Amino acid sequence: MRPIPRSPKPPLTFSGGLPSSDDLVETLLAGRTLLAESPDHLSQVVDVLESYGEVLDAYSINLIYQAEKQFLNPFPVFRFLDGDHSPAKIWRHLLHDRINFEYAEYCQKAMLWHGTGGLDAYLDSEAFAANCAAIVARKTRRDPLLAALNPLFPQFLGELIRSAATTHALGQFWRVMSDLFIDLARAERDGRVDSIAAVVTFIKEGLVAAAGAPITYAVEIAGSRFWVLPPEAGLTFLMDVAVPYVEAVFLRGTPFLGTVSFNAQAQQISPDQAQFMYGALYADPLPTMGSGIPPSLLMQDMYRHLPDRLHQTYLAGIRGAGDVRVKICMTFQKAMFCVTNAAIAGTFPHPLDSDVPAQQAANRAYAAAWAARLCVARTDCLDDPG
Amino acid sequence: MLSALLLIPFAGALGLLCWPGELATERIRRAALGLLVLQLLWSLRVLLVFDVSDPGLQLQESFAWVDSIGLDYRLGVDGLAMPLVLVNAALTLVSAICTRDLSQRPRLYFALLLGISGAVNGAFLSENLLLFFLFYELELIPLWLLISIWGGANRGYAATKFLIFTAISGVLILGAFLGLALVTGQADFGINPVTTAQLGMGTQLVLLGALLIGFAIKIPLVPFHTWLPDAHTEASTPVSVLLAGVLLKLGTYGLLRFCLGLFPEAWALLAPWLAGWAAVSVLYGSLAAIAQRDMKRMVAYSSVGHMGYILLAAAAATPVSLLGAVFQMVSHGLISALLFLLVGVVYRKTRTRDLEVLRGLLNPERGLPFTGTLMILGVMASAGMPGMAGFISEFLVFRGSLAAFPLATLLCMVGSGLTAVYFLLLVNRAFFGRLAVTPPSGDPVADSRLEVRLPAVALRETLPALALASGVVGLGVLPWGLGKLSEQATTAMAQLPALVAAIQGGGLLS
Repeated sequence: MRPIPRSPKPPLTFSGGLPSSDDLVETLLAGRTLLAESPDHLSQVVDVLESYGEVLDAYSINLIYQAEKQFLNPFPVFRFLDGDHSPAKIWRHLLHDRINFEYAEYCQKAMLWHGTGGLDAYLDSEAFAANCAAIVARKTRRDPLLAALNPLFPQFLGELIRSAATTHALGQFWRVMSDLFIDLARAERDGRVDSIAAVVTFIKEGLVAAAGAPITYAVEIAGSRFWVLPPEAGLTFLMDVAVPYVEAVFLRGTPFLGTVSFNAQAQQISPDQAQFMYGALYADPLPTMGSGIPPSLLMQDMYRHLPDRLHQTYLAGIRGAGDVRVKICMTFQKAMFCVTNAAIAGTFPHPLDSDVPAQQAANRAYAAAWAARLCVARTDCLDDPG
Repeated sequence: MLSALLLIPFAGALGLLCWPGELATERIRRAALGLLVLQLLWSLRVLLVFDVSDPGLQLQESFAWVDSIGLDYRLGVDGLAMPLVLVNAALTLVSAICTRDLSQRPRLYFALLLGISGAVNGAFLSENLLLFFLFYELELIPLWLLISIWGGANRGYAATKFLIFTAISGVLILGAFLGLALVTGQADFGINPVTTAQLGMGTQLVLLGALLIGFAIKIPLVPFHTWLPDAHTEASTPVSVLLAGVLLKLGTYGLLRFCLGLFPEAWALLAPWLAGWAAVSVLYGSLAAIAQRDMKRMVAYSSVGHMGYILLAAAAATPVSLLGAVFQMVSHGLISALLFLLVGVVYRKTRTRDLEVLRGLLNPERGLPFTGTLMILGVMASAGMPGMAGFISEFLVFRGSLAAFPLATLLCMVGSGLTAVYFLLLVNRAFFGRLAVTPPSGDPVADSRLEVRLPAVALRETLPALALASGVVGLGVLPWGLGKLSEQATTAMAQLPALVAAIQGGGLLS
């Protein structure tokens, strides 16, 4: 019997392109998209953003619920139930048949901890301190536990209110983004969006449209309404929440939970938070068995809402459903590069077609600052057809 | 009844070879699997009728074959052979199950596999020295063919080396058997202990020496081991499973049955040297395993080390140590087969076994997590972790040998500790960290961006390993079954009158 000829084996590894900082600067200044243009990329990005939109909807509702209804609750045991305390809901919660709201909290804590932008500046202001004092005075009048805690730890309740303010602001931000991503999917189905460039433009226009939307937050205590983030603070969607969010969650992130102590002890973590590169754009899609890695929680949530078209694409892959969370993460990173692309395009200091040399130089410096950070991110996904 | 254990595989092999017309590979494979299942069932049937309270040979069958040269067809089974017959049946079946993607000569391949299994059964069941030799040699050519046809790139070298070594082993064994017949004048080739009343000690030592070296090549013991790592490296996974799990046991079986069984007095005299040899073999095998970067060679050297325990136990020749030797034969058969199976899975999926290349295979989504889990279980068992087969066998060997040879036993215990060292190196390098199946490029950023797309391990590919892992844990948790099966035979062996006399004479402990 003759040997059966074998078909060539597919490669076991894929090495995506790693564009240099200069390449990225030219791409950004030319108005080209970071993600390679292809029909596969279009469907992947749109579908993953649709599932992300569904998840953000749940996150947004919960964060706003937590900030308003679980305000200054030192033991918020039922904070993930959105006020529905029915046995069925609690049972599903206990069986973990639910969205991982912990990821939303993780993002909120990252924003609070990195503290960049106008929101953080306001949280450190005298006006905010005065608001806090009024709220604490009212709250401790009827709450003996908080009344006992406050004199012992005078910074404690103030910090809880800062956290609640970030939580509410993030909830408002995700409300807008959720609607934007669901609208994007609808636009793609309608044929209004048919390329990666159109996706970036769609997101940029959505961000620009919401840029000036006010970010406010008030709580009701014993029948009285108190402002935490009042309108007069002048906080707006884009510069005070969206940009700090991108900085904290897309770029910096926090060292993965569970491994932070080991890495810190090994001096592997920079003491300068601005040097952090643990955000979504840097995350390794391959989990390495560390416990409690938050991006994997998001992938689990997105898997629950995956559009059928993308699900079928994943199932056709070499591992089928076996590595679906890795695939979601890789597609998600492609989508996040599109969102970052849109954010950069929408925040250039001057129009890209400007002929004024000083404006061109300013744009180049702005692009170079972004490129320096992005060139060490997971840019390998940008030309990955898989 | 015992003849069926020879008839099934031999007739099957012949049937496969002579079947007229073309046969599809899958059909041949199924036929071989059917025959091997039948062989396993028949082995279990023999087990059912086996009387565990009888230390002697049972279910004997005999008829004169070539009377003029003393070659009689005499079969029998005792507590030493019974477990090995079962291991042979089980592991040949596993080998056939895990044979996939056979690109050439499937008919010959499965016929050879069946032929080896039948020959091994014959060797374990023979009551006649010449018959044993016949079967011992019968498995040689099929195995040589299995390596040289279906082996790796350097298969010619490895197969020839195996053939030369094992042929010398056969010559020495045959020489010893013929020499024994010549000097004793008894040409019936029965397995009867020789005493100094019949034969001078010098002659006994010469004959025992030839047998020892013959079986030491097969086991293999240092310094006769060099064929084994090469043979394993070039052999395909199913052949490695058979080689480590079954064929090496022919050597250890011969050590107990013929070296100890035929020359108990000379054995007792040599025992302290043999214990020292065991310690050297264990330590050399373990240290050599540490230095390996090929996973398969590491497992092969671990076999060299672990076979040394059996020599130590045989040297001590106490009831406990001999029972430990039987346990070690069975547990090593299961554990090494498991490890070779898993290394085979890793190689099939990653196309490498290089420990300088492989990383992070336990990755839950893109790696080989279940294979890695079984590998961790296998290496734990091999290192003698309680709850698994390796612990029972090593404990019995050490417990039974400590009083007789404390230094050699302690050195072997160090070898057991070294097993944990090299297998933890294996697991740490290949299974932990970020997933990688290619050599580092020198650019850490590029390496950390490299996407790995390994094919998944199907359940059917894992089932044989899962079955073996269950056996390893089962034997570790419930060792009494095997203990009961072999205890009478090994106790009787330790109480051979000549051996007891030699021990009482101070030969053993001097």
